Parts: sequence; structure tokens; C-alpha cells
Amino acid sequence: MEYENLKNALLSNVDMGLKYASTVDRNAEFELYLFYQQRTLVNITQGVVDAADGIVEGNAVRVAKQNRLSFTSSSGISIERIKRSVNEAVASLRSVSIKDTRFKRFCEPKKPGKEGAFTDKILNLGKEELIEIANGMVKEAQDFDKRIHTVGSECAAEWGGFAVGNTLGLQQASRSAINRCEVYCIAVAGEERRTAWEADVTRERLIKTSGVGVEAARKAVNLLGAQKLNKTTVLPTIWSPVAAAAYVVAGLGQAASGEHVVEGRSPIADKLGKEVGNPKLTITDNGQSPSGVNTDAIDAEGHPQQKTTLIAKGELSQFVFDTYYAHIYGSESTGNCARHSRPFGSTLPYETSPSILPKNMEVEPGRKSLDDLIASIDGQAILIVDTPIGIFHSNVATGEFSAVAQSVFLVEKGEKKFPLQPVSVSGNFYAGLRQLLAVGDDLEKTIFAVETPTLIFDGFSIVG
Amino acid sequence: MLGKLQKCVELGEKLGAGFVEARFDDLTLRTLYRVNGTWKDIILRSRAGVGVVCYYGGASGYSFTSSDDHEELEQTVNKAFKMAKASARAVSLKLDFDRKPSVKSQRADTFQVKIHPQAENLGYKTELVNRTVEKAQESGKNITNIMGLYGELHGRKLFTNSEGSVVDWNFEIVDLQCRVTSKTASGDLVNGAGRAGGTVGLEHFNTEGSTPEDIGNEAGAHAKEQLKARPCPAGVFRALIENRLAGVLAHESFGHLSEGDFVVVGGSPLAGKIGARLGTEHATIIDYGTPNISELGGLWLPYDDQGVKANETTILDAGILKHYLHSRGTAHHLHQEPTGNCRAVHFGFVPIPRMTNTYFAPGDLTKEEALELLNTGVYAIQTLGGQVEGDGSFLFKAIRGYWVQNGKIKEPLREVSLSGNILDLLSKVEGATRDLSIHAGYFGGCGKSGQAPLPCGLGGPELVIGEVRFGGKAS
Repeated sequence: MEYENLKNALLSNVDMGLKYASTVDRNAEFELYLFYQQRTLVNITQGVVDAADGIVEGNAVRVAKQNRLSFTSSSGISIERIKRSVNEAVASLRSVSIKDTRFKRFCEPKKPGKEGAFTDKILNLGKEELIEIANGMVKEAQDFDKRIHTVGSECAAEWGGFAVGNTLGLQQASRSAINRCEVYCIAVAGEERRTAWEADVTRERLIKTSGVGVEAARKAVNLLGAQKLNKTTVLPTIWSPVAAAAYVVAGLGQAASGEHVVEGRSPIADKLGKEVGNPKLTITDNGQSPSGVNTDAIDAEGHPQQKTTLIAKGELSQFVFDTYYAHIYGSESTGNCARHSRPFGSTLPYETSPSILPKNMEVEPGRKSLDDLIASIDGQAILIVDTPIGIFHSNVATGEFSAVAQSVFLVEKGEKKFPLQPVSVSGNFYAGLRQLLAVGDDLEKTIFAVETPTLIFDGFSIVG
Repeated sequence: MLGKLQKCVELGEKLGAGFVEARFDDLTLRTLYRVNGTWKDIILRSRAGVGVVCYYGGASGYSFTSSDDHEELEQTVNKAFKMAKASARAVSLKLDFDRKPSVKSQRADTFQVKIHPQAENLGYKTELVNRTVEKAQESGKNITNIMGLYGELHGRKLFTNSEGSVVDWNFEIVDLQCRVTSKTASGDLVNGAGRAGGTVGLEHFNTEGSTPEDIGNEAGAHAKEQLKARPCPAGVFRALIENRLAGVLAHESFGHLSEGDFVVVGGSPLAGKIGARLGTEHATIIDYGTPNISELGGLWLPYDDQGVKANETTILDAGILKHYLHSRGTAHHLHQEPTGNCRAVHFGFVPIPRMTNTYFAPGDLTKEEALELLNTGVYAIQTLGGQVEGDGSFLFKAIRGYWVQNGKIKEPLREVSLSGNILDLLSKVEGATRDLSIHAGYFGGCGKSGQAPLPCGLGGPELVIGEVRFGGKAS
């Protein structure tokens, strides 16, 4: 399969699959999803090399008849495998009389959006080149400081696409090519071990071949010599872009989902048009950002991806929807149907039934630099420079979170002082939006498909 | 299919590979998901594919395909060999291993259940979910959401290699769950959960404590109790850790650090510490692929994805580090025996050291004695998962808890999070109860190196710990 011909090849099988499906049950509605992706991945850790190269391909069929629904998937995109899925989906539908009275119809055909940025250099990124890049990253991290004890690097290139068709006449496809690298370092001094990582994920250019390893090593070394906070207290917390991105995904990323709203699990379900955050806060979800890693022409059910404002100057503007939940809510799909979303999601996306996820979230930057923000702290604050562990183990319904921030510094009287031993940070995601103190100007694209500057929150409990 | 895999091995060797492994998975996954009165998902997945590992010059290369077509398989072997050859130029730490006599599985290696999920129709399974949700509905008018979930994963796993091993067995796991969300008078949302499953037949859902009604009742009753629960105080307290949470502790905080791939590269704080005291005499941690399921529960894994037979591995023995969890390569490098822990989440991934059923060994306390030993602190119950970092830092979430005062349960607490460093925590285990149970299920699972969710069993007795850091509300 070639990248150039990929959409045509997938759409051709979608068309054949739908024609076959209508011969199995002409009174049922069908939706067919095909996924194809070439993946090459290299991991080098302390001289141990693991490498893999393969094709992920599969199909998924949804069938609906008189408000009864079923979903079937199988590996492979050949017409024989598609027929098997169609037959099993229909058999499943016939074997049980369970109705979903809320289902109206699959996605109706609309003009697609645009695919994201693309460079054919990613298609030509071979295993030898990935091994060389990964090796180079390890070397530059190791050479940075003799206290760097363990280094792991991973480089990957993947390209592919998906196609969706249904019996309402929709037949659309989208492609993307992404490359990424990560470097993980452990700095050791005596019994103290501090970890840090750095990454580069991009679709519009090749990954950086230098600098990523040095940055990871620098971060790890800077954390050595940590002191204990030694108290339980409430302090302002300064979340650097990568930490802030995790906060936004784990909090609003879930609560703004139309599924959680409709099913009564989102605490902001009844807050549309009301103030949910500080007026400094504006957050959008941009499924059409050219450089966004989740940008596609269509979402996972064929609806055009779009830009949706979630919070405007602190006021809740909109939720994100797929067709199913939009119908129930009395709204329109926002093109947020997903079966796979970077960096999360299934490694076999065709096996995942459609759900709702943000595509590429963007937090509007403020006007103050990080230095100015730190200088504005009168008393003490905690600066969090990496993703707190456990931040994603949160509950959308309660919004309560408790995470361990490992990469932290004490800020005191307007100055960044010294690294701290890990502290636990607890609070409530939604209360945090209202307790936002400041938004930085240091906008950064992060690996969580969120572009955000530094955010400062008040009112979280700190145990250290 | 075995013939095709054997041809893959032959081709890999002909290309120049020093050793070749080929495996085939043909698995069926069924998910049923009901939200309130609506069936959200009725899903059937067929997951079939071939994975090939070629070893060359101390490195390995992996490739995979969902096709069983002859040409596709040849291409897959070629890719795996080329990856291994390219990797060999960069490798400086070689994970070779010695050849051993071939392994042949027996029919009896597959765990026999009375009612296999394949034997019952879809209606039988949807009824299990309906009964669960309907029972949960009885738990009050504050309920805003009830989720009922059923999952099954089963099918053939076939493996061969350059030693001529033939491992052919059937994997099986089922899961029935209920999650209830309720709204407090002040508008806060709280949760309750109930669950049963593992490598069991559907007859398991007829046994006391695991019926759909028991599961629905547990979720509903706990959500109701949470309506009057207060947030957990923030700070450092004594703790009693319930069985399922003890399992997360064994798995997340210690098990991962004992995985051979972290150890050989020095990424684990357990590297080079065999024989060292890392915990108290009450801390014994075991990993075992074939525990006594009918008595303890758990997951049945007679072989790993390198064809190595399951082992009962005592990782930590009364506080002393004894063994790591291995692939064949990491075991050879560290001069230990393979432990049957090399697993892949599916055919799209190379097998790496992972856990099977990981659990704390039981102690001699009764529940009452454990509460008495706790005296005053937090009793943390059920699990929402957890995470560990390379330096031993961990964070776990408990679904709920109680504040215990002078050995008596005083009041319910909301979601509880526990954090700290595992090596500190193991040195503070003061005792364990007599009751060991292992828990496994279809939903959730372990994540590592992008491979998730891998079904794992975890468990233990209840553990009394002298000092744990709790995240919560600072006063």
C-alpha cells in the first residue's frame, strides 16, 4: 500500500463492503470503518535495542435496525475479513432484542475538513535512520553529565489512514504521517535518583536529531539535591506547559465530552453559558490545526473535524459531540468522534467503538513570561515542571484529583529556589479553573495534544 | 496454522537469524456496556495475527501481520530479520540466551471451566448485566448514573521456535462490573463500584458474593454510603490496605521495578540488590501464572509468549529481594532462570517482561486484629489503579475508605490517594491478614511501553502499614 493511493484503496473496500452488507440485510443501516497504519519503532536503553516494524490493519462494522445496534471488528481490511465482520454484526443484532431508543442515524454526508500538515520525509524514515537518531540521543544525554546513569530513547515513524462509509451515502477518508522521539534519563547522586524525559512529536517536519537528549539530561540533573518540603499545607502551584496540558486533558478534556454530559457524569453539564473559570481562561479544541497530531479531514464516523470553543473568558461555551450524543442533547456533532487519539487510545483503533474525545486542545496564552509569573509570587509556591504521576487516574464525576509531582521546585518571594522531593498535589479540577491565578505567555505544543502556556492555580493541598 | 509458523521459523533461520520465535493469536473479545436504561455497546471483536521475533548478533527484530497469507508471512519474517540485523549494529548490551530442550504443551494446560463464555448466547450475558444494573437501581434516588459492563476474552494462543517447542493453549477471562454515580445534597458526585471475574466460567456468577445482584448491590450501597462521606484528610497516617489495593501495591509499586528489562539496564532501584533487605518480615511478594484459581481467583497463564512455562516466583521473601521477573534474555544476563513472564498485549507487539498474578503472601492477623494494630488511621478500599516511576515513587487511588479511630471504623471517606516511595513503604509493613484473594478482569489491565491493557491478576491479604502519605484536603 502506498501513501498516495491509500485513500482510494480504503474507499474502494468500504464501497465493496457496504454493497455486500446491503445484500445481507437491505433494511438495516450499516457503517464501515477501515484502518491501515505502517509503524516502525526503535527503542534503545543502555545498549539494549528493541525494534519493530509492521502493519496495523483492521475493520469495524456498526449495524442498526429498528433501534437495535451492534458493533463487530476484525483484523485485516480484505473484503473477506469485512464480509466476516458484516455477517457477525448482523448475527449479533438478530440474536438479541435490545433496543437503544436514543439512536437516530449514523453520520450524514458532509463536505470534509482538511487533512493536517504533511511531509513525505516521514514516509522515507527507515529503520536504520531511526536507530541512528535514537543512538545519537542516548549519546548526547550520557555525555551531558556523568551523573546521568540510565538513558532510554525511543523513535517511531508511522503513516496511514482510515476510511468511513455508511448507508446514508457517506464515504470519506483521511491520512496522516507522524514521527516522534522520547528520551528518558535517570540522574543518580548517592542514594538519590531523579528521572526526567523530553520528547518531540510532529507531523510537519522530521523529529529533532539533537537537543532532545541534552534537555532530558539537564532536567534530571537539575532535580538532584532535592530538599524535603516537610509540611502539609495549601499553596499556589505553577504548572509548566507539559504539566498544565495534563491538567487540561484530565479535567476539562473529560468533562466537556458530550457523552459524560448526557450520561450525568459531568459536573459542568448544567453550566453552559455560565462562568466555570477565571476570565483569563479561554480554551478551544481545534480539530483543524495544521500541526495538531489529531487533525484529520474527518472524525472517526466521517463528520468533518472543526474548531470548537469550550471556554471563552471563563464562560463555558460548548461541549464536544459525536452524532449519537449530539442527537440526544439536541445539538450538532462537533466532529469529535474518536476511536484513536494521540497520545492515548488503543493500539488497534478499529477495535474501539466510537467515543468522544477532544482533538487538539489550545489554551489562549496570557502576557506574562514565566520569570514575571515567578517574580509575582509573594510567599511560597510550588513549580511543577513535569507530568505529575497519577494525574490521569482521576474521576470525571467528582473532579477530585491527587497526584505526585516529582519534578518540583520551591518558589519563594519571587524566586525559584531549589528542587523539592516529590510532593502530593490534591484538589478539584473544576474548582481549580475558578482558582486560576495567572496564564503565562510561554505557549508550547505538548505530547498530550494540548498547546498551552504555564498556568498558576491557587488552593490545592500540598503534602511534602 | 502450526505448519505456517514453523515455516516462518525455518525462513528466519535461513535468512541468518540465530534464533526465531513465531506465534499466532486467534482471540475473541466480547464487550457489553449498559448505561442506565440504554445499551451503549454490544461489541464483538476478532483479533487474529502472527508475530515473529528474529534474534541476530545480540539484538532482536520484531514484525507482525494480521494476514496468514504465505507471501505476507514471508514479508513479515523478512522485516523482522532486517530489523534485527540493523539493530545488531547499535547493540552494546546483548540479551542472548542459551538453547534449551523443546517445550510441548498438554491439553490439560488450558484451564477448564464449567460454562465457557462461548457456550452461552448473547441474551444470557445481557441478562447478567441487566440483573446487575437493576439491583443497583434499588440503592436510592440520588443515583445519576449506573454503568453495567460485561467482558470476555478467549481464544487460542499458538507458539513455536527454533528449539521446536510447540505451545498450544486457550486463554480465557470474563468480567462483570457495575459502577454507580450519585449526587450529594451539595451537588458533588460520588461513586460506588462492584466487580467479579478472572479465569472463571460463567458459573462463577452463580456463586455467593459474585452474583449480578451481589455486584449491583455492592456498587449501589457504596455509592449511597459515599453520600455522607467526607474528603480524606491530607497528611501522613497509619493505614490498613484492603486486598485489592494491596494487589495494586504489589503490582504497580514493586512488580514493575522487578521486571528484568528495567533491571538489566539499571533503570530499576532494585538492580544489584538481590539478597538485600528491602522490607519487613511481613512483606512477601509472589508472581505466579497458575495459582489455585478456584480458591484464590486470578488469571490462568500456563505459558508466556516465549513458550516458557509459568513459574511461582517469590520476588520478595519476608523482606529480602530474591528474584526478578524475566524474559529468556534478561534471565540469562542476570544469571537467573526464566520465570515465564515474557508477555505481549497482542500480536502487534514484541513480548517483554510483564507480570502474571502478583500478590502479597498472607500473614496471621484476623480482620479485628488488623484494625486493632492499625489503631488510628485510614482504611483504604478497592482500587482505581495506580502508577509508579523509575525511582520507586508511586501513586495509587482507592475508590473509598474509612477513618479508623482506636481500632474502630468511625466514618466513610471519599476517594483516597496514597503516595510515597515503595522502598520506604515496604519497610513499614507491620502485618498482614490471613485472607488471600487474587483479582483479575477483562476491563482495565496493565500498561507498559505502549502495551496496554494487558490482563493481569493482583491481590493479597489486608496490610497494616505504619506510615503512608495521603493526598486529600489540607486543613
